Amino acid sequence: MPSRRKDGKDLKQKVAKALENLWKAEGDVARQERFSATGANFGPQFAAKGVAPKDMAVRAEEGEVAADGEPVFEEAVRKDVQGNIIPGFNKDYQHFLFYRIGTVKFTKKWLQWIAPLISSMDEVLAFNRMYRSLRFRLGSKDVPIKATWVNIAFSCEAIAALTSKKDCLAFGDESFRQGLAARSEYLGDPTDRRAAGNKRNWVIGGPKNEADILVIVASDDAKLLRDALNVIKEKAEEHRLRLLFEQAGETLPAPLRGHEHFGFKDGISQPGVRGRVSAIADDYITPRYIQPTDPRSRLFAKPGQLLVWPGQFLLGMQRQNPENLFTPAAAASNFPKWAASGSFLVCRRLQQDVKAFWEFVVATATSLGVPAQKFASMLVGRWPSGAPVARTPNADVPALGADDLASNHFLFDDDTRPSNLIPISGYPGDTYSQARADMLGLVCPHFAHVRKVNPRDSTTDLGKVADSLIRMILRRGIPFGPAVAGVKDPSASLWKKERGLMFVSYQSSIEDQFEFITRRWSNSVAQPNVGGHDPIIGQEGSQGSRERFIDFPAGGKSVRVTIKTEWVIPTGGGYFFSPPIGAIAGVLGS
Amino acid sequence: MPLLTQFDTPGSLRDFPAGSAFYGRWHDVINGMLGATPTPGSGGVGELYNPHVTNVNVVGERLLVWMGFPRGLLLANRDNRQQAFELGDKRSATERNTQVEYLEWQMTKEGGKIKKVTFVTETPEYWQTMFTFDRNRVLSLYRELVNPSITMADITDAGGSYNPLNAWNTTKGIVHYIVVSPANTLSAAIGLAKDSVTLGRATHAQDNYELSPGAQTSADPRVQTDVNMLARKGLSVTGREPIGLYMVAWDDTGWTKPDGSPVGNYWRIPRGRPGAALRLEYEVPASEGFFVSDIRIGGRPITHGGHLAEHVTVMLGGIAGTRAA
Repeated sequence: MPSRRKDGKDLKQKVAKALENLWKAEGDVARQERFSATGANFGPQFAAKGVAPKDMAVRAEEGEVAADGEPVFEEAVRKDVQGNIIPGFNKDYQHFLFYRIGTVKFTKKWLQWIAPLISSMDEVLAFNRMYRSLRFRLGSKDVPIKATWVNIAFSCEAIAALTSKKDCLAFGDESFRQGLAARSEYLGDPTDRRAAGNKRNWVIGGPKNEADILVIVASDDAKLLRDALNVIKEKAEEHRLRLLFEQAGETLPAPLRGHEHFGFKDGISQPGVRGRVSAIADDYITPRYIQPTDPRSRLFAKPGQLLVWPGQFLLGMQRQNPENLFTPAAAASNFPKWAASGSFLVCRRLQQDVKAFWEFVVATATSLGVPAQKFASMLVGRWPSGAPVARTPNADVPALGADDLASNHFLFDDDTRPSNLIPISGYPGDTYSQARADMLGLVCPHFAHVRKVNPRDSTTDLGKVADSLIRMILRRGIPFGPAVAGVKDPSASLWKKERGLMFVSYQSSIEDQFEFITRRWSNSVAQPNVGGHDPIIGQEGSQGSRERFIDFPAGGKSVRVTIKTEWVIPTGGGYFFSPPIGAIAGVLGS
Repeated sequence: MPLLTQFDTPGSLRDFPAGSAFYGRWHDVINGMLGATPTPGSGGVGELYNPHVTNVNVVGERLLVWMGFPRGLLLANRDNRQQAFELGDKRSATERNTQVEYLEWQMTKEGGKIKKVTFVTETPEYWQTMFTFDRNRVLSLYRELVNPSITMADITDAGGSYNPLNAWNTTKGIVHYIVVSPANTLSAAIGLAKDSVTLGRATHAQDNYELSPGAQTSADPRVQTDVNMLARKGLSVTGREPIGLYMVAWDDTGWTKPDGSPVGNYWRIPRGRPGAALRLEYEVPASEGFFVSDIRIGGRPITHGGHLAEHVTVMLGGIAGTRAA
């Protein structure tokens, strides 16, 4: 029988090997990326038709209604919506500043100062379009344009202080009014005061260190970001705002850019917001890639990217109808009038214990007789490259993971059919094996993270597939801390450094969207389907328990695997409201 | 797999001694509901079968789960959840008419506070069959579960037949389902599954997203969509033994005592078992010194039974396979 010491050594070596394999696999991605999905992020509506973004903006006519019923975002609205909500900053460097209001009078002055710096949907959309256009023309991701963006959000307490208690109470979202700390245990966070994840130990957002204001600064360039931060922080200090906490976020270095710290590509599946920049054909907020003759063009922006009505993310706009995919439901009405076009922002600072995760993976995979990387990928539902397990059950296919038009195209309950895509220069088409029906969760298990948080075509505990669309959120997170995944022979000091994910999401209802996904699906052993917890982000909190489990499919049966350690630990955050830009210097700053 | 010789009672309840003829009676009820011949799927693809009659090699099971609180109320009150919970408890004297998800509940109050919430997934068919077999056993169960003072006259009508709408199953207590529109009955659930194999799109849905069966409940579209999905793959589908509606899970994460600490295990399963409860009670032990309505869920006080029902998951088990040669 091997000694415990030897077991420990073996485990260490196996973990190191698993991480090294990640690095190797991603090297393959980097090589193959040039040859796959080259058109995936390019803007065919510009490049193919030779229409520059600027021209498009000039030609946009306000007040038009498109024939397909999708709303046209008028210029005034586009200039009022903060840009990280739609279309999202998507920058390599992001910095989070958590402030406490000193005096209301000076804070209002500071808001007057910062309001012109807030980046709008209009600006970010224009930049993104220009970026895609240049990338297409240059044939490279190395596009010589850069931008630095700023957004801002407020807690309910801050809104009460800056306006009135009545305005805070006018927000119908009770979770927002309560704040993240009050909802922490409901989300499954540890109740044991000694636990690192207990809200009393949070670095920000606990009962005694809740932030009033969150400023997000994002840039393509570290120096530009620093410059912007210096100015904002100096002005805030001048106006007596107290910086409670700040967190730098940064994408992982190549070749794991776009991956989270466990080593898996992240942020692949996002809803596509319905709506147009103008009534001009193809002038959508979310670029469309499916042939209009394919009925799925009414459902998806690109394969697997479900189209969702904008009121799910912006107050005051038409919402998703849980009974019908194509006819919108009425806008929410339970918010102060000035808050229209704003969005609730959830921020969770999630520490990741990479070693604990991979040690569990290696030890459990060994006992189950499954290769470690395959087991880890079944926990996630994707291989490290982002390739879905549903499409490639036995091995990673890095080129598939890198192909934006293929990596998110899969169903769970039926065989997936190829989509009919619009012609994209240089793109050979989705030639990878399509996903086969997996209604019993034998390939991509019911507990797999991607199946938990996005059940796709599967029905759920709320009955209709259409209902799942009213749960979707716009994720805008970014990793923090130095990477260990992909690093060859990481040093002991590197292992000790803190790392994790600054999770950020936007939604029009915290309770029905972020909290629903977290509590009702990720944390549940029975919802949306029976099979155990989401082993990545799910938490168990019933009656103080922390033990989780998964029912792992093996040889026609399922094996219950208990999970006694935690590798995603909440260490802070807050519930905020990201107001329309006009309200910053207006109702909030005046 | 060999033919099933006898259908078991829901939750394998043993309300009568082993070997009692009652168990044969119950088998006949289920056997009758499933029918002697399989219900063929649309276009002859797939079927819903009776495992007592048709031999099928089972390839897997799918547990159909849904939220116990009525989805329709939450949708109709999307911007006012408290209103939804108020409607979830509201009923006429003899109806729990909004509790349409095959989960019915009743609150017991004391001094205006909620002392206990009782949930049931027991069907009227089971209780009617028991009454027909042995009315005194039904009376003794009522006394055991609801109130020791109940008399036979309390649970029967003028003609001596069983009255499911008796006060101890409506206003003063709860034993089994009474909702009739849509019906919370086992035959309704099995009928729904049968109808589901005959829905359109038998061979391949348009990526399934458009499948949107009519009812605004969670339960009906869950059963319809899942059963249809299995049948259109040519599979033979039936209920998992013992066939019944169950509470498969309940989640008290984030429920706190008045002092803010996590609640203890205040759940009790008088009928059924963990993972397959038929009767579930939530009551704080007297030694704790507070009531259910003193508990907070995510920082919010419990004011309605629906606040708990939202965290109870209901389940109908299904299995699927291919016809044995």
